[in-house]
Amino acid sequence: MNRPCNSMEPRVMDDDMLKLAVGDQGPQEEAGQLAKQEGILFKDVLSLQLDFRNILRIDNLWQFENLRKLQLDNNIIEKIEGLENLAHLVWLDLSFNNIETIEGLDTLVNLEDLSLFNNRISKIDSLDALVKLQVLSLGNNRIDNMMNIIYLRRFKCLRTLSLSRNPISEAEDYKMFICAYLPDLVYLDYRRIDDHTKKLAEAKHQYSIDELKHRENLMQAQLEDEQARREELEKHKTAFVEHLNGSFLFDSMYAEDSEGNKLSYLPGVGELLETYKDKFVIICVNIFEYGLKQQEKRKTELDTFSECVHEAIQENQEQGKRKIAKFEEKHLSSLSAIREESELRNIEKMILECSADISELFDALMTLEMQLVEQLEETINMFERNIVDMVGLFIENVQSLMAQCRDLENHHHEKLLEISISTLEKIVEGDLGEDLPNDLRALFVDKDTIVNAVGASHDIHLLKIDNREDELVTRINSWCTRLIDKIHKDEIMRNRKRVKEINQYIDHMQSELDNLECGDILD
Amino acid sequence: MEVLREKVEEEEEAEREEAAERAEWARMEKMMRPVEVRKEENTLKQETLRDLEKKLSEIQITVSAELPAFTKDTIDISKLPVSYKTNTPKEEHLLQVADNFSCQYSHLCPDRVPLFLHPLNECEVPKFVSTTLRPTLMPYPELYNWDSCAQFVSDFLTMVPLPDPLKPPSHLYSSTTVLKYQKGNCFDFSTLLCSMLIGSGYDAYCVNGYGSLDLCHMDLTREVCPLTVKPKETIKKEEKVLPKKYTIKPPRDLCSRFEQEQEVKKQQEIRAQEKKRLREEEERLMEAEKAKPDALHGLRVHSWVLVLSGKREVPENFFIDPFTGHSYSTQDEHFLGIESLWNHKNYWINMQDCWNCCKDLIFDLGDPVRWEYMLLGTDKSQLSLTEEDDSGINDEDDVENLVSLSSSRRPQLTVSTAFETRCPNGKKVIQYKRAKLEKWAPYLNSNGLVSRLTTYEDLQCTNILEIKEWYQNREDMLELKHINKTTDLKTDYFKPGHPQALRVHSYKSMQPEMDRVIEFYETARVDGLMKREETPRTMTEYYQGRPDFLSYRHASFGPRVKKLTLSSAESNPRPIVKITERFFRNPAKPAEEDVAERVFLVAEERIQLRYHCREDHITASKREFLRRTEVDSKGNKIIMTPDMCISFEVEPMEHTKKLLYQYEAMMHLKREEKLSRHQVWESELEVLEILKLREEEEAAHTLTISIYDTKRNEKSKEYREAMERMMHEEHLRQVETQLDYLAPFLAQLPPGEKLTRWQAVRLKDECLSDFKQRLINKANLIQARFEKETQELQKKQQWYQENQVTLTPEDEDLYLSYCSQAMFRIRILEQRLNRHKELAPLKYLALEEKLYKDPRLGELQKIFA
Repeated sequence: MNRPCNSMEPRVMDDDMLKLAVGDQGPQEEAGQLAKQEGILFKDVLSLQLDFRNILRIDNLWQFENLRKLQLDNNIIEKIEGLENLAHLVWLDLSFNNIETIEGLDTLVNLEDLSLFNNRISKIDSLDALVKLQVLSLGNNRIDNMMNIIYLRRFKCLRTLSLSRNPISEAEDYKMFICAYLPDLVYLDYRRIDDHTKKLAEAKHQYSIDELKHRENLMQAQLEDEQARREELEKHKTAFVEHLNGSFLFDSMYAEDSEGNKLSYLPGVGELLETYKDKFVIICVNIFEYGLKQQEKRKTELDTFSECVHEAIQENQEQGKRKIAKFEEKHLSSLSAIREESELRNIEKMILECSADISELFDALMTLEMQLVEQLEETINMFERNIVDMVGLFIENVQSLMAQCRDLENHHHEKLLEISISTLEKIVEGDLGEDLPNDLRALFVDKDTIVNAVGASHDIHLLKIDNREDELVTRINSWCTRLIDKIHKDEIMRNRKRVKEINQYIDHMQSELDNLECGDILD
Repeated sequence: MEVLREKVEEEEEAEREEAAERAEWARMEKMMRPVEVRKEENTLKQETLRDLEKKLSEIQITVSAELPAFTKDTIDISKLPVSYKTNTPKEEHLLQVADNFSCQYSHLCPDRVPLFLHPLNECEVPKFVSTTLRPTLMPYPELYNWDSCAQFVSDFLTMVPLPDPLKPPSHLYSSTTVLKYQKGNCFDFSTLLCSMLIGSGYDAYCVNGYGSLDLCHMDLTREVCPLTVKPKETIKKEEKVLPKKYTIKPPRDLCSRFEQEQEVKKQQEIRAQEKKRLREEEERLMEAEKAKPDALHGLRVHSWVLVLSGKREVPENFFIDPFTGHSYSTQDEHFLGIESLWNHKNYWINMQDCWNCCKDLIFDLGDPVRWEYMLLGTDKSQLSLTEEDDSGINDEDDVENLVSLSSSRRPQLTVSTAFETRCPNGKKVIQYKRAKLEKWAPYLNSNGLVSRLTTYEDLQCTNILEIKEWYQNREDMLELKHINKTTDLKTDYFKPGHPQALRVHSYKSMQPEMDRVIEFYETARVDGLMKREETPRTMTEYYQGRPDFLSYRHASFGPRVKKLTLSSAESNPRPIVKITERFFRNPAKPAEEDVAERVFLVAEERIQLRYHCREDHITASKREFLRRTEVDSKGNKIIMTPDMCISFEVEPMEHTKKLLYQYEAMMHLKREEKLSRHQVWESELEVLEILKLREEEEAAHTLTISIYDTKRNEKSKEYREAMERMMHEEHLRQVETQLDYLAPFLAQLPPGEKLTRWQAVRLKDECLSDFKQRLINKANLIQARFEKETQELQKKQQWYQENQVTLTPEDEDLYLSYCSQAMFRIRILEQRLNRHKELAPLKYLALEEKLYKDPRLGELQKIFA
């Protein structure tokens, strides 16, 4: 790059430079005078032009929060950085710089037009966040691999692309390849792609594109599947009964239970375990279905509640609006009457009347608000009672079902103990023992050991069941309290906001009246 | 007849005595009534008498003002078919049966009026009434239902009152004649209507009975015009929403219930009084409107149509008055009694008592106690409960056939092109209570007027309340013109398609800048204007569906500034004092930046903005700009000061506090103000333009003619005729060219095969030689004739020379004339021969040429090509 800037000193993007640029590019003439008078805040600037300034490093731009358009072309920038705060940026020009890799653009989700013309980029990547990208200019770079084009397939809005004067543009297949792999593209290298070319390209690369599409579709389907599964689980979680629609709990009971697993090799225990598992799973599924049903119920309850509250608030707002409209009508006419009145005493009288009107409006609005607050409080309390009852009922039923699980476990434990002891006796008698695994045989040393082992297994199982139950109960309780807290808090916030609004309005009205008074007296 | 006899016997019974007494009494009363009336009249005061006379004369005028005489003399009977002028033996037989029936009837019921059985027709031939009915299905789909049929009959014919209102007419003309002359009495009306209804499948009957005065004279002055009756507003049922579980409770009602109750009671009392007063008023009005008692009440003969339920999904029996085409229930008090009724098959006499009008009549025609039939064996008699007692009569079966036979000899009824014109001469006037309805045929009036309804304030129809005029086929799409005489407000209604997309235009005067409301078809306009209201000082416009969400613009004007130069509304617009614009919510903008209303106070240089209200707020932001261009104490121009913009913000924002923001907003508003002023000015111009256009249209009032209207559309008619002519010529030419010279030769060859070259050549040669032979033959023929003529002439000359002396002068003359004729013939033949000799080679060549070009001889072409 033999540019004159090579001989010049790089400059730093400091405050002065930015201020100067903003001032120069800001409003002109009368508005400019005003702007100068007031000063322009960086965050109000929408467009900034910083070209031909020998900037080496992008810096100091964090204040320009609302910037829409940024031109940094014809500098000596080597790295894209410092643009993280410019989330509203739509138009970014970094052409004629010395950038080597694309980076630092991950926060610019609104970017539509990106120009990286005449840089030293050799690979297109790190553009994933730019979902709205429409125009991409990468001409005069060092891109040499056709596979970069496939990366661009993810930009559904991309219509204009320029890649001329790159190593890949020398390839004879260049144009056809791009047309085939980016079918939505309208302009390539400043020229419109005609339909004929499109068709030709499609025909030429049909097989590879079909394959690519197939792969993409598979990927998409997989993603969707994943998504669906996650959503399903999420739904179950909101019902607090996740993983209860199968043998998950049962399996987890035996996952950490080494003794239990060992004992399952005992003769007769296998069948016992099978029936136990079946019964257990049936109860789990019962809990699961009951949980979903209850969740549905809670949801409809909540929906009805929020709908009713919304309606009430809406109605109240309408009333308030009507009152204000009526007041304003009257107020305007009395204001103009005051302006036209010349007798001082009359003016005073009218002003008094006006302020009386204002305070009357204030009273009316506040009464409305207080009324609403009372009504809502009553409703919220009712809802709270209902939802707590519902949750209580749910917990109670789940606990009884869990108790069934425990009974099953106890039953199983007794059976297992029986079998174990009889086996021990047999072993002691020396009837059998050859076909038992070694680690199992180790348990059958004496009665204590075997009873301890069976007991430990039982304890683990009971612990798992208890844990699951506790988890469910705590979670639903915390959900319930959170929900009610939120409703109360929302209501309080709403009330405060409304009161603030009313006060503000009344203050404004009063001050307007006072201003009028002053003006009149001055006149 | 046995039934009749039985009935007479039964009458002797005690149960019947009462009825007989009642009948006697009724008869007595009938006789007495005229006397009574006369007596009454004598006692009437002079004043009321005059009033009555006046009233009566008025009625006379409205009814028979322009009734032309419709007597036998005016009817041209020469064109009627023979069946009208004579009776077949079967018809004679039928008449005899009828006579016999009539005799027996008058013998058995001497107190009843003679039957209306066989009046004379227009050819002075007696015809049985059932044969006069000619069931016909009209070719117009509009005339398939009873209501449209009845309307057609009432519109199509002019009503002629009966010569004697107390008797049925002596003549009953055929419907063909009635249709031709478009007038008739009630019997003609009902015969025609009944024919049409039976033809379209209704179970309809002609009724001979008694009607009220209004009915008989087609006097609708006591009827409320159906067009003035406002359609009842359908009250929407408000669906009671079930209160939801968490619906908030209404605030506690702190009013005293006792007081409320007292209040309600008081209200009810007041309402009751009001109601009573209204009712009294109404009664008084009703009294005033009530008809004067009719001296001949119950004696006036009328004829109408009865439609029985059953066929064509008619749910219940009803009457149709053929004069008006209205339907009435059989309980209606206008119909006072029935003597007899008939359809195209049979004739029934009513044996029930009509003391209570027709309210108690039962229309079960199969019941021989109630309805005495004349002919046996129609379908209705099967319903009879006493079927066994009339099985002895056999000859009536033939008679029944007779009716159907004799009626089938009559021609089908046809309605000519006059169908479209509907009313006689295309015009009809109907007088209703406080209203007058005039109807015209389409295209009769050059301005497209088809009907006019005039509503009056009073019963005498002197003070016009309002006029409604309906138009059709107007090029300016004018549909209805409504003039309210009390407020002088005129309202024009338009169908879609006016060049200015007008929908409604109501105005008091066509001068600009006056009160007027113009409504538009907003979808047809680019600017989405719905309505524009004008008063002398303001103009209000309502918009819908605009991309800038403008919904309303109101402009008020100040008094016009006098200019020295000659000024019109166009060159000197009134100064605008204030413009108010309102906008719908633009969902793309946040509420606090979306202007709901802006007011440009042009005179005060003030701009007020009101923003939309945010969803969860009750107050909206406001902003007011004072546009003062002042200079400060140093003489510098003040660009913007904080006090030039007063704003109230619901959620105070930082950037709006800036002078720069305010300055830019104000500059933007200034531009907008200019635009708005321009818009208002353009709207004013548009009003002027519309007014001009309307005046032009009113003056021109051109009518459109549908391209399907073959009769009226001159252009298409011309085109069609030209097409027909062309077709004809084309046809002639085709016939000429179709003379196939090859056909006889082709017939020799096996059909469907392609010709070989050899065959083609041979065919050609044969054809040509044949043609040659024909030409030669023709020449020979001419030659032969020529020679023959010459020989004959020579012979004659010889004969003449031989007998010259003995010839009489007559013979000589004969000879001379023969000679001259023969010479003429010879000359002609000579000419033809010469011409043939000249043309023959040409014709030969032409045929050869044609043969070469003939596709069937394509083989030849190949060689020569």
